[in-house]
Amino acid sequence: MATTLALRNFWAAPDKAARATTESGWVRWSLIGVAVLFLGVFLFLPLAVVFASAFAKGISVYFAALREPDALAAIRLTLIAAGVAVPMNLVFGIAAAWAIGKFDFFGKSFLVTLIDLPFSVSPVVSGLIYVLIFGLQGLLGPWLAAHDIKIIFAVPGIVLATVFVTFPFVARELIPLVQAQGNEEEEAALTLGASGWQTFFRVTLPNIKWGLLYGVILCNARAMGEFGAVSVVSGHIRGLTNTMPLHIEILYNEYQFAPAFAVASLLALLALVTLFVKSGVEWKARQHSEQQEQEILTAPRIATRMAIVNSGVKAA
Amino acid sequence: MKIRLKQRSVLPGFGLSLGFTVLYLSLIVLIPLSATFLKASSLTWPRFWHVVTAPRAIASYELSFGASGIAAAINLVFGLIVAWVLVRYTFPGKRIFDSLVDLPFALPTAVAGIALTAIYSSNGWIGHYLQPFGIKAAYSRLGVVIALTFTGLPFVVRTVQPVLEDLDKEMEEAAASLGADRWQTITRVLLPAIMPAALTGFTMAFARAVGEYGSVVFISGNMPMRTEITPLLIITKLEQYDYAGATAIAVVMLVVSFVMLLAINLLQAWSGGRMRSTAGGNDLALSEA
Amino acid sequence: MSIKALNISKRFGQFAALDNVDLEIPSGELVALLGPSGSGKTTLLRVIAGLEFADSGSVQFDGRDISDRTARERRVGFVFQHYALFRHMTVFENIAFGLRVRPRESRPSKKQIAAKVHELLKLIQLDTLAQRYPSQLSGGQRQRVALARALAVEPSVLLLDEPFGALDAKVRLELRRWLRQLHDEIHITSVFVTHDQEEALEVADRVVVMNQGRIEQIGSPEEVYNFPATPFVYNFLGNVNLFHGRLEGDQTYIQERETGHVVYVRPHLLDIDRAPNGGSHFRARIKHINAAGPLVKVEAVAEWGDPVHIEMSQEKFRDLQLIKDESVFVIPKDVKVFANQDA
Repeated sequence: MATTLALRNFWAAPDKAARATTESGWVRWSLIGVAVLFLGVFLFLPLAVVFASAFAKGISVYFAALREPDALAAIRLTLIAAGVAVPMNLVFGIAAAWAIGKFDFFGKSFLVTLIDLPFSVSPVVSGLIYVLIFGLQGLLGPWLAAHDIKIIFAVPGIVLATVFVTFPFVARELIPLVQAQGNEEEEAALTLGASGWQTFFRVTLPNIKWGLLYGVILCNARAMGEFGAVSVVSGHIRGLTNTMPLHIEILYNEYQFAPAFAVASLLALLALVTLFVKSGVEWKARQHSEQQEQEILTAPRIATRMAIVNSGVKAA
Repeated sequence: MKIRLKQRSVLPGFGLSLGFTVLYLSLIVLIPLSATFLKASSLTWPRFWHVVTAPRAIASYELSFGASGIAAAINLVFGLIVAWVLVRYTFPGKRIFDSLVDLPFALPTAVAGIALTAIYSSNGWIGHYLQPFGIKAAYSRLGVVIALTFTGLPFVVRTVQPVLEDLDKEMEEAAASLGADRWQTITRVLLPAIMPAALTGFTMAFARAVGEYGSVVFISGNMPMRTEITPLLIITKLEQYDYAGATAIAVVMLVVSFVMLLAINLLQAWSGGRMRSTAGGNDLALSEA
Repeated sequence: MSIKALNISKRFGQFAALDNVDLEIPSGELVALLGPSGSGKTTLLRVIAGLEFADSGSVQFDGRDISDRTARERRVGFVFQHYALFRHMTVFENIAFGLRVRPRESRPSKKQIAAKVHELLKLIQLDTLAQRYPSQLSGGQRQRVALARALAVEPSVLLLDEPFGALDAKVRLELRRWLRQLHDEIHITSVFVTHDQEEALEVADRVVVMNQGRIEQIGSPEEVYNFPATPFVYNFLGNVNLFHGRLEGDQTYIQERETGHVVYVRPHLLDIDRAPNGGSHFRARIKHINAAGPLVKVEAVAEWGDPVHIEMSQEKFRDLQLIKDESVFVIPKDVKVFANQDA
């Protein structure tokens, strides 16, 4: 039976036995057609138009746009923001996963809800709340001005806003993973004489490494691409407080379409790399889980792509 | 019976990890958030009410919520179809489509914004087909819906996919053996099973769309009272140094966010409970006495 | 190393897992904690190990109170029900783990660790599989690795939580005997938890029968089987017939309802005959005969309606030539009456 299935090509109609549990051929193909059309229009087209428009005026214009000083400054600032936000949120994610995944305590679900917050708050609001604290009219505004510390409309503000919108990614990836893996291996390590840190580095960390990578990739993608929150805190000072997305906005509003899309193409490329690494990690995780003897039920608690990683761990 | 906040733990590191987590959250989230509410409270209640119910604000709510609802509904319908197709069928290039579903998560909103505008403006790839029919996709409310459909696309697909994958084929076979035809099986057996997940995805798509900024501001045209979304209204007020006004509107959005968050958590608990009862999994949490 | 658990109580929410449990285990003994799910046996084991902390009571090793010490400080060897092998480490690395995490001063050299690991691998007969990963091993092999890993740090106490629970019947039998042999060689104080009474009776020096967070009886396997202290123990160990009855003097009367006394008889202690032969007896009608196996199992219905299970040797069965629906006499050879119990 297995070989018959393997040899059957996907053009053939299902045989009688399968007809009870599959749709007829034309239904299948119309559904596939609808899905492909929908995805094609909404996903492929935007990607294609980015690259097409970027090179519309030729390769030299493309590279000139990227080498332009303001563009380079924007790239630099984007890298700085991500370079600070991602490691910080990585440490946070690990700490949160350990506290929430391994222990039971009062207020745990409140904490988890708090971590989910940036996902449901508008990016503009995310930026605004930092202006209200650090801006000139903000709570700490006068004190900062007196000490000549600039946070809003300067690089620190941008980094802060980036940290805020990206801090859940690693945590949300790791928490269900750590919870699903249980405490047994860590308990075993303890009985064998390992200290807390030894247990973490030698036992826990290797078990979560793919989830960790996944979370870091997503965190980075969002950190580099954040627009709304950074737009509010940045002040839009060319060459100083513009990240790549903000620079794209400026170019676009000045009708410099090809240069705008040129810079955008870099971010689109990053998006494709992110998706690629994501698939790789999911494939790895699926391999891993197929080797696991223990079947763990993971609740379909998914807000984002981590669903696919966890779905590799099949329900009992 | 002594009431414990927490049982004495066997694994070390609770204090350190929880302490760091709470500290981080306080600094990054709680303190800035409270500043917001503090600032909002500097407005008197009548003034607050006046700002948040101004015609321009109301128009922006109508647009933001209305367009988000429509976009989320589109994603519900098509997301179900896409999830079904990806889980149940094979066709050339399926893997690529599957990976690409996450594009709206990975692609920066500004890039999405200018790309969509380029496609739907009157001389764009799709826009120029629509123009003869008098359909203005860019710089209109339609454009806003299109952009929000893009941003919310992965939510329903990704919440429904794992549920579909885990569905027992035997349920369908049982229905068929009891005489149900395919349509009945789908509507009476399968759809109810995936509805909780689908609704969760819908709510997430909706919540994300309401606050969306980058993908929308380019294609919407930003005409006040017509195509101005609420986040843009906040920014406009900020640029005019009307901090109090901006904060007032932001508070409205925050309240909506909290409500959405609550709804999502409840929906997930509901669908998670459903999964657990049908799959009959083991709970390894409590050690067996 | 002797173990003493004194007055241990533990609740999980409303559920009382352990209720004032007292247990003393002399050094070098192999003890089984036997009971059904929810009896508290695993909780007691984990309290001894330091993987749970009791609400009240104390644990002593060699007379020293170690109740406040963490699992790490107690230096017990613990074997988990689902092995808890480190999935990303090879068999070698798993076994070596306890030695590698020792503080620098007391850590053995790489060579010494390797020697010790190979010695243990030989002991568990898996020396060719040192570089395999747990996912590439069978259940029985994984359990042996878990045992070797626990033994590597030379603990003074070995605790095993349903060590053979997740294995096939045949593998279980083999490992059971192997554990007994190992204990005979090493003489390490060992406590294992099981719900399988056959396993407990076959392997342990002493059996602790537990039920609902309390100890029902402690004794050698022969003691608890032949002289059960409570109806629960009687019922849990081996098959049993239950009848309402009453004890008067040294006469037992079966069949009278609602006396509050219960009469227990083991199936192999009931004889079948076609004549009463003078001794105490009752009539029964044969309903079902299962002659496949070392013993013949006969199901009958007593004259007052209660079901009766009888076991006899194949020889006896051949002599009797019993057939279905036949009416026979059942002669109890030994009964136990427990007063004031509900059947």
